Amino acid sequence: MELNGIVIDDSFAEAFPMKGTRLVITAHNLEWARHAAVATTGFATSVIACGCEAGIERELSPEETPDGRPGIAILIFSMSGRELAKQVEKRVGQCVLTCPTTAVYAGLFEGDAIALGKNLRFFGDGWQTSKVIGGQRYWRVPVMDGEFVAQETTWVTTQAVGGGNLLLLATDTAAALAAAEAAVAAMKQLPNIVMPFPGGVVRSGSKVGSKYPTLGASTNDAYCPSLRELAAKSELGPDIGSVMEIVIDGLTDTDVAAAMRTGLKTLIERGAASGLKRIGAGNYGGKLGPFLYHLHKLVPGMAEGRS
Amino acid sequence: MSGWTLTLKQAPALRLDLRALSPAALAGLSADAVAKFGVWHGNESVALGELFTITARTDDALHFEGDLSRADRIGWQLAAGRIHVDGPVGDYLGAGMSGGEIVASRDAGLLAACEMSGGRLEIGGNVGDHAASALPGSMDGMRGGTLLVRGSAGARFGDRMRRGSALVFGDAGDFLASRMVAGTIAVAGRIGAHAGYGMRRGSVVCAGTAPAIPPTFVTNDANIAVFWQLLARDLARHGGAFASLPARRVQRHLGDLAAGGKGELLLCV
Repeated sequence: MELNGIVIDDSFAEAFPMKGTRLVITAHNLEWARHAAVATTGFATSVIACGCEAGIERELSPEETPDGRPGIAILIFSMSGRELAKQVEKRVGQCVLTCPTTAVYAGLFEGDAIALGKNLRFFGDGWQTSKVIGGQRYWRVPVMDGEFVAQETTWVTTQAVGGGNLLLLATDTAAALAAAEAAVAAMKQLPNIVMPFPGGVVRSGSKVGSKYPTLGASTNDAYCPSLRELAAKSELGPDIGSVMEIVIDGLTDTDVAAAMRTGLKTLIERGAASGLKRIGAGNYGGKLGPFLYHLHKLVPGMAEGRS
Repeated sequence: MSGWTLTLKQAPALRLDLRALSPAALAGLSADAVAKFGVWHGNESVALGELFTITARTDDALHFEGDLSRADRIGWQLAAGRIHVDGPVGDYLGAGMSGGEIVASRDAGLLAACEMSGGRLEIGGNVGDHAASALPGSMDGMRGGTLLVRGSAGARFGDRMRRGSALVFGDAGDFLASRMVAGTIAVAGRIGAHAGYGMRRGSVVCAGTAPAIPPTFVTNDANIAVFWQLLARDLARHGGAFASLPARRVQRHLGDLAAGGKGELLLCV
């Protein structure tokens, strides 16, 4: 399929079920909320080594937060609820509790409850107090700028999906980057999703396995331009000089599909003159992940892209 | 539906103990069975039909009408359903209730909402001493739910209270929140002497005239704006003098230092 001069591969993204939660971080102003959110979602690109995948979902106006201050909503995903709980506790403890003026609240209210401020309260060394307000328990922990307020629990959805993706094949790095930036910017407007890699983009797409027995994943040689003439099977034609991948995690299957659809639409609208030649997707043959997002079905104007 | 309206025929000579009456207890009974339902009048069991005119309702609520100021323990340990009282009530209104809703249009006697753990209790008039407190010998007073007093409260309001929210739209008597363990009390009017006597934790919001701060409390000006917004917005839902709380600042006094000092009197300025 070719649209606006860009080839859309007859391929699909293969994604996996994950556990996810949303946290709302507020602060004295947006800048400090962002400092905490950036730190909390740092080193959270892939569950392979980070324990979770996380990112900033969006900014929140004072009208949208429980305490009437500006805030940031972040999403955190893990493969298991237990690991997610561990990551939430560590990250909030090290990156929100520590950040001046911040408070943290649950951003999801259905599913299984996990600790948010429940264990962090012990930092208060006995001076902490709690209060049930509107049916929710909050902890007040004395800190050097006043007190750190944290909701006791947040809730986890088991419907989350991780690993939706698009492969952007372009003439050169500048064109690939520009395409990726445009697609990420468009997808960031959507709720319930994050793109956990730096800037939303990953340049080290991987395949399963390696020649080294201890490695579970290794470079996706079929998409490396430098191996076009060397790899046993390269996916790249002579016109492709650079490939970028955008990975999407969402709270539901529908959210991931909507994000991929928006990404595709944005990329196709920019046309082949932008240097983007092909759009593909990463999968493992469809045998590993239950969520398959077929590009041809996601292309704007066409119906559901999932099977 | 299975609701009933019970209209008192005349004031009983002795105290009535209505603890056995709840929407659930009377649901599914015939009018005959309700009329034969026994309640204690002093030390004798009397049929409801002798005391009340009984009429079926189209909803499933339990309504009382008349001067019930000698009727005690209305809504005792209520778990679900709605009780409405059109008239003054006696002691122990809603004591030990864990759910449902009780609305009393006029005054209530002593120990209303004591050891209440959930649900909503609204008193249209004044309430006597020891509301939202503990039964004799008990360690914890009110431990959940919402108590609204549209009028004024007597002494020892919220004694040993542990959890929940209790709002007084009028004045509160002496020893407000004495020995309070935790929870929230908000008063829109004046507050009597010795507020927070022996309180360990918990918050007392003084939205009206500032009370005399006991000598065992210390002033603290640390920034608690986040917590205050959470609390003030929740209290503001109840309207009246509390509606403006989110826009007001608070002065905080910590105490009772004789009991650890983690409680707070929050004076709205």
